[in-house]
Amino acid sequence: MAFAIEFFLRRIGQGLVIVLLVAFVIFTLLRIVPGDPIRIILGPMTPASVLEETARNLGLRDPILVQFGRFVTQVASGDLGRSFIRGVQGGSTGGSQDSAGFDPESRASVAELIGTALPYSLQLAALGIVFTLLVSVPLGLAAGLRSGRWPDRLGLYVSSFLVSLPNIWVGVVLIFLLSAKTGLLPAIGYKGFAYTIIPAMVLAIELSPVLIRAISVSVAANLGETYFDVGLVRGLSRRAMIARHVLRNAAVPLFNLFGAQMIGMLLGGLFVVEYIFSYPGLGMLTINAVFQRDFPIIQAVAILASGVLVAINMLVDFASTTIDRRLKF
Amino acid sequence: MKTTRRMFLAGATALGAGSLIIGPTGKLGSAFAQDGKTLSFAAAGTVTSSWDPSSHTVAPQITAEGFLFGHLTKCPMTAENPGEILPDLAVEWKVIDPFTLEYKLRQGVTFHDGKEFKAEDVKATYEYASQPSRPASAWYPGQVEVEIVDDYTVRLKTEKFGYPALNFWYVSAFLPILSAKDVANPDVLKQRPNGTGAFRYEATKGDQIIFKAFDKFHEGKPQIETVLWNYVPDANTRVLGLLNGQYHLTERLEPEQYASLSKEANITTQRGLSSENKYLHFRCNKPPFDDVRVRLAAVHAIDREQVLAVVGDAGQASNCHISPVKFGYTDVASYPKFDPELSQKLLAEAGFPKGQGLPEIEYITSVGFYPKTREYGELITAMLQEQGFPVKLTTLEPAAWEEQLYRRADGQGPGHIVDVGWITGSPEPDLVLRPNYLSKFALINGVSDPEIDASLDKERNAASTDERLKILQTETLPLIAAKVPSVSLFSSVFLRAMSKNLQGVYFYPNGPIDLSKATLA
Repeated sequence: MAFAIEFFLRRIGQGLVIVLLVAFVIFTLLRIVPGDPIRIILGPMTPASVLEETARNLGLRDPILVQFGRFVTQVASGDLGRSFIRGVQGGSTGGSQDSAGFDPESRASVAELIGTALPYSLQLAALGIVFTLLVSVPLGLAAGLRSGRWPDRLGLYVSSFLVSLPNIWVGVVLIFLLSAKTGLLPAIGYKGFAYTIIPAMVLAIELSPVLIRAISVSVAANLGETYFDVGLVRGLSRRAMIARHVLRNAAVPLFNLFGAQMIGMLLGGLFVVEYIFSYPGLGMLTINAVFQRDFPIIQAVAILASGVLVAINMLVDFASTTIDRRLKF
Repeated sequence: MKTTRRMFLAGATALGAGSLIIGPTGKLGSAFAQDGKTLSFAAAGTVTSSWDPSSHTVAPQITAEGFLFGHLTKCPMTAENPGEILPDLAVEWKVIDPFTLEYKLRQGVTFHDGKEFKAEDVKATYEYASQPSRPASAWYPGQVEVEIVDDYTVRLKTEKFGYPALNFWYVSAFLPILSAKDVANPDVLKQRPNGTGAFRYEATKGDQIIFKAFDKFHEGKPQIETVLWNYVPDANTRVLGLLNGQYHLTERLEPEQYASLSKEANITTQRGLSSENKYLHFRCNKPPFDDVRVRLAAVHAIDREQVLAVVGDAGQASNCHISPVKFGYTDVASYPKFDPELSQKLLAEAGFPKGQGLPEIEYITSVGFYPKTREYGELITAMLQEQGFPVKLTTLEPAAWEEQLYRRADGQGPGHIVDVGWITGSPEPDLVLRPNYLSKFALINGVSDPEIDASLDKERNAASTDERLKILQTETLPLIAAKVPSVSLFSSVFLRAMSKNLQGVYFYPNGPIDLSKATLA
C-alpha cells in the first residue's frame, strides 16, 4: 500500500511537469506559426484597426509568457475557456462580429465541446482496441508459440502487409467497398453504433501489426528462457507453463508497448480516422480547430491528450510492477 | 488487497465494455435517410456564430441564408442575361429620380415567426445593414434612407449620402430582408434566423444544421420537409457519402471527382458558371510591382490557356476582371495575352532586362480551398521563371493563407503575388471592382491610381443602366486590364453532384441553392 501511494504521488508529480511542458510547447508553437486567428474570428473584410483592438482585448498581442501564465491560471481554476470560432449554437466558421466587436460569451465553452465529442471518441477507440485484440492476440500467440513455422510466417506477412497500408487510403477504400458499393454498413458521420464499425476497423488495421509482432516476439522469447524448460522437466505440462507463466511474463513488455506506443498511435489514428469519416469525436473537433486556428480548443485537447498518455503510462507501469514484483518504476 | 492477473484482466475488460456503454448510445442500422422528405446536404463550409446577415462576409453562410431569407428581387445571374431581375418580395420597381428607387411589395407574406411582412421591415433592414459599422457593409454601395410610402411601398433614397440610388438596382437581390422586430433587438437577430424563405431554422446539432419547410412560404410549402446541412470539410468524404446514399447533394467537387461521378448511374452532376473569378493580385504599393510595366511583363509571361487546362472542368476562359454572370461583363479586346517577347521588352524598359535586378518575388497561394491552386501555381511559377522573374511559390493551408491575403494596418501585405477568388451574390460589378481597385480600399493589391478611381466613380454615378453598361465595357474594364493591379486568370465553375432522384433544384452562381420547388423521389 505504501508503495502504491509513493508510486502514484511521484508519478503524478512527474506527469504534471510533462503536461505543463507539452502545454507550453503547443501554446508557443500556435503563436509563432503563420495564421493570425483574429482574422478568422472577425472576418476578412474587417478594418485593420478593429482587428488590432480586438486582438489586444483578447490578449493575443501580449508576450507569449504572459499569455501562457494567464492560460495556466485559468486552466488551474477548471476553466478551459471559450472557442474563438464555434458559436454557442454550434456554428464553426469564423468571420463574424457584432457591432460592439468580438463577444467571447457568444462562443461555445471548450469544456462542453470536449464533453460532447469525447464519448464518441471513447466508443471508437474502445471498439478499435477490441478489433485489434481480436486480430492480434490469436495471430501473435500462434506465431510466438510456433516460432519459425508457418503461423510465425503468417503473423509476419500479415503484420508487414497491414503496416504498409496508410490509414487514409484504407479508410477511403473501406467506405467505398463496405458502404458505397455494397451498402453493408453506414460510414459517414454518426447516427448510431453501426457508424463506429468501419472507422474502428481502420484503427485496428493501424494498431494490429505492432501488437502481432510484439506478442509473437515476447511469447517466443519466453519459450526460449531456461525457466520454461525447467518447468517442463519438473513435470508441468506445456499448456500449464504457457497459461500460467509464459503469458504472464510476456505481458509485461506488452503492457509497456501498449502504454508507450499503442495509445499514442491510437490518439493519432483517431484524428485522421475521424476526419475521413466525418465522425463527430475529439479528433474531428481538433482537426477543424487546427484549420481554423481555434487556439483554446487545440490547447485543451493537447493537455487532455498528454494527460491521458501520462495517466495510462502510470497505470501500465503500476500494473507491470503488480505482475512482476521485481520491477520498480 | 492483492491484485491478480485474472482480476486485472477482468477489470480491463470491464473498462473496455464500459467505454462502449458510456459512448453515445445508438442502434445498428438506420444508416441511410431515404424517406423522400429529408434532404441531406454535404456542405463544404458552415455558418458563423451569428445569424445576423449583416455580421459576416462568409460564403457558406450566404448559401445557408438562401434557404431562410427572402430578398426584394431575385437575380438568376445567367451568362446569357446577367442583368435579369425577377420579383421576390417586391413585385414592381422603378427609378423615381437619380437618387430614388421605388419598390411595390408583395402582400400576404409572413416571416417564420408569424409576423406579417411590410414596408417597415424593408426600412429596418436597409438602414441597419448599410451602416458603415456593420461588418458586411462593404457589400453595399453606401448608406441609404428608406421612406415608407404605405405598408406595401418603399422608396430607397441615397441623395443625402451622395451617390445614385441605381447602385441598389442589383444589390436588392442580395440583401436578406429581416424583420423590423428583430433589427430592434440585435441579440435575437444573432441567435436565430427569421426570414420569409422557403425553409425555417429548426436547430443546430454539432456540425449539423436542421431546416424545416415553411408552411406559409409565399410560393407554397416546399415538398422537401427537412434539409439537413452537414458540414463535411473533406471533399473525398463528401463524395463517398453521396455514393453510399447518406447524402443527396454535395458541392465544391474537384475536377477528377466530378469526372468520376459523372459516370455513376445514380448520380447527377451539375456544372455551373459562378460569379467568382480567380485572380493573381500584384502588391502594387511596393517594388517591383509598383511599376505597371513589370506587372504587364508578368501577365504577358503567363499562358492562361495552359492554366485553364490544369483547372479543367472547374474553370472557364474569360478576358475580364468580372465574371460573365455580372452586369457589365465584356470580353475585353485589349486584355493582356501570353506574349513572351513583349514580356521581355517590358522588363527591359522597366530596367530589369531578362529579369536581372529583380528582387525575389513571393507568390502566395492556398491549398485545400480552391481547386488546383497548387498545380497551376507551380505552372505559373515556372512560366514566370522562364522569363527571368525570380519567383518563390509559398503554398499555405486556408487559415494561414487568409491571414496573409489582405493588406495590414500599415498598408503593406506579405509577398508580391497573391492567388485569390472573389465571389459575390449579385450581378452588381462594384461588389468586385470597388473593394479591389478603388484606391480607398484596394484590399489586396494596394493599387493607388487616380485614373482607375475616376473611372470607377464615373460608372457608379451614371444616370442610367445603359449608360453605366457602356462606361463599364468601354472605359472601366479596359482601363483595369491595361493597368493590371491584378490579372483575372479565369472564371470559376462550381462542380456539384446529387442523387438522381433529386429534381427541380436551382443553383445560384454565388452558392445559394433553391430547393423550394425541388422533389426527392
